[in-house]
Amino acid sequence: MTQLSVRHLLGIKNLTETDIHAILDTATQFKEVINRPIKKVPSLRDVTIANVFFENSTRTRLSFELAEKRLSADVVNFSASGSSVKKGETLLDTVNNILAMKVDMVVMRHSSPGAPHYLAERIGANIINAGDGTHEHPTQALLDAFSIREKIGDLAGKKVAIIGDILHSRVALSNIFCLKKLGAEVRVCGPTTLIPKYIDALGVQVSHNVRETLEWCDVANVLRIQLERLQVKYFPSLREYSLYFGISKAMLDSLNKPIVLMHPGPINRGVELTSDAADSAHSIILNQVENGVATRMAVLYLLAQQ
Amino acid sequence: MLIRSVKIVDSQSPFHHQTKDVWIENGVIRQIGDALSVANTEVLTGSNWHLSPGWIDMRTTTGDPGLEHKEDLQSVCAAAAAGGFTEIAILPNTEPALDSKDTVGYVQRSTQQNLVQVHAIAAVTKQCEGKDFTEMIDLTHAGAVAFSDGTHPIQNTHIFLKSLQYLQPLNRVLINRAEDLQLTAYGQMNEGISSTLLGMRGMPAVAEEIMLMRDLKLLEYLNVTSELPILHFSTISTATSVQLIREAKAKGLPISCDVAAHQMVFDDAVLSGFDSNYKVNPPFRSAQDQAALWQGLADGTIDAVVSDHSPHEEEAKNLEFDLAAFGITGLETAFALLCTYGKDALSLSQTIDKITHAPRRILRLSDITIEEGNAANLTIFDPSQTWTFTKTRSKSKNSPFFGKTLTGKPLYVINRGLVGKCG
Repeated sequence: MTQLSVRHLLGIKNLTETDIHAILDTATQFKEVINRPIKKVPSLRDVTIANVFFENSTRTRLSFELAEKRLSADVVNFSASGSSVKKGETLLDTVNNILAMKVDMVVMRHSSPGAPHYLAERIGANIINAGDGTHEHPTQALLDAFSIREKIGDLAGKKVAIIGDILHSRVALSNIFCLKKLGAEVRVCGPTTLIPKYIDALGVQVSHNVRETLEWCDVANVLRIQLERLQVKYFPSLREYSLYFGISKAMLDSLNKPIVLMHPGPINRGVELTSDAADSAHSIILNQVENGVATRMAVLYLLAQQ
Repeated sequence: MLIRSVKIVDSQSPFHHQTKDVWIENGVIRQIGDALSVANTEVLTGSNWHLSPGWIDMRTTTGDPGLEHKEDLQSVCAAAAAGGFTEIAILPNTEPALDSKDTVGYVQRSTQQNLVQVHAIAAVTKQCEGKDFTEMIDLTHAGAVAFSDGTHPIQNTHIFLKSLQYLQPLNRVLINRAEDLQLTAYGQMNEGISSTLLGMRGMPAVAEEIMLMRDLKLLEYLNVTSELPILHFSTISTATSVQLIREAKAKGLPISCDVAAHQMVFDDAVLSGFDSNYKVNPPFRSAQDQAALWQGLADGTIDAVVSDHSPHEEEAKNLEFDLAAFGITGLETAFALLCTYGKDALSLSQTIDKITHAPRRILRLSDITIEEGNAANLTIFDPSQTWTFTKTRSKSKNSPFFGKTLTGKPLYVINRGLVGKCG
């Protein structure tokens, strides 16, 4: 049986290439399962999973919950917007209270980078990072890799561009780690102020020209402009962003080759992507959503074996 | 009391590097000599014992008044004594701040019986808010040894310049920590490859360097000459800062600076596990910065080493990294860090200078040297002894050195006619 090298899924940084392939291969099997008339398997029967979300989320939480239910796990949900500290209870106390009710695995989203790492050192349950601030969002990167592999085959040697707010994006960081481990060439593209100063140390190319980047890549993963994370100003306006960094169908059609268009959602239609681009034949955005369930099933299943 | 066969480390003493017996009576060094015989006195002796002037820490944060759950004046004195310090200069960042003669007087009254002498660094601005000046003449008369907004770097250029000017006739140094708070807003650690990998908001080195340049330029503009430093940069952390200070000193500007002992030990890669015990401000920088700091200490660019003792209760530290407070409790480990990590960079005599003569000079305190007839303000230590940091006399435990084995141990502190055992 396939075994992961880790007990928790804290980030892609901690995974080996073998781990990633194991997850993607397992996800392939689960994708077949969830397309059967009976979508449910008993793999995680008697396993209780808590989805603990300290930050707003619709699709990630729903995707995890569906993945858990299709594996027959028992599921409890806890949401609190804002940090636990504002509620007067520490993160550790909140999670320990949930664990006292005999929970086996914790899926957590939190606004603080490293919050799942902090918990992993202090509690016994398996932890799955569903996004920690501007650090990592490993299941997103895995489902993105799965979706690319499904669409255009093995990632080794493929050119993948990540376009948008790289500075504040956990999706970007996890994707960079994942794509590099799988042998893809990675380029980040966005306004100069939204690219981390030291990003080239991660072995990625940097561009500030969207048109030229689209010409270069096989896959364009376009990120949401995270206005809610911008505590200070980094660019003048959404209008200017969409004019100079937004992607339209006309742009995609004018390229010398077809490329794959991705977006982790939710899309700001008219900002980073026009509607006609998001809904075009280039787009695999809804496949990503479907693959998200299969990939998260694979992660939960493999971690539960540990 | 007779200290038998102790090696004297005091660059200002005629007995420097000599192994002698030292006889202390009524708080005064009576006699220094070989094989002294004194009747009816306690004898202290041990192998590899060294004796230096009492150590002084010029950057200690307490929580008294107002935040006594972090550290009160008694516990900070106990921690200082445990760390080999006979004097500490405390930052004004209490609640209320040390910004009036009431609070400065409170500090003095509360500690006058202590072995450890506590000096107040008074606030430059009320509540250290950077807006309105404190009454600096009055505070000087009340006993403030220096002025600083402590953990709050002075942002307002006018306030900075006028404070520096106003302090001139008072013979008091202005202590500032250089940091542009707009460039470090929401920052958690040094901006670099590590912060990129960890997805954390960085505090760029340039935020320190541009403020340092600003401060130097304004000092130059004032065009004052002084034997003693009139501007002191506390806890510098970058290679460029070291170079800027080196050049400014070469030009003859009356400045001095210090570095925190823990800054000499780690670079920012240590944050990879999100352990908030490593969360400090200034943050741990790159390995190149660390090397430049050692070089600066060795060539004298960096005058002093401080503990930057910043106590925090568990509730302020055992949190998600970005919610945790900045700071390390440093008094009990500062000397050992220098011995453990600085053996190749600094001689023992240099190390001792940085925690004795240099800070006393910057703070305008009377110098302490080991000579007959001088006050017995002394620290006995063993620079080679290894020990494990397992218990603290501070009220707080926020130190990454707990459980670590270090080299260099203070053994006894002697001051004000009292003797205390360290550690």
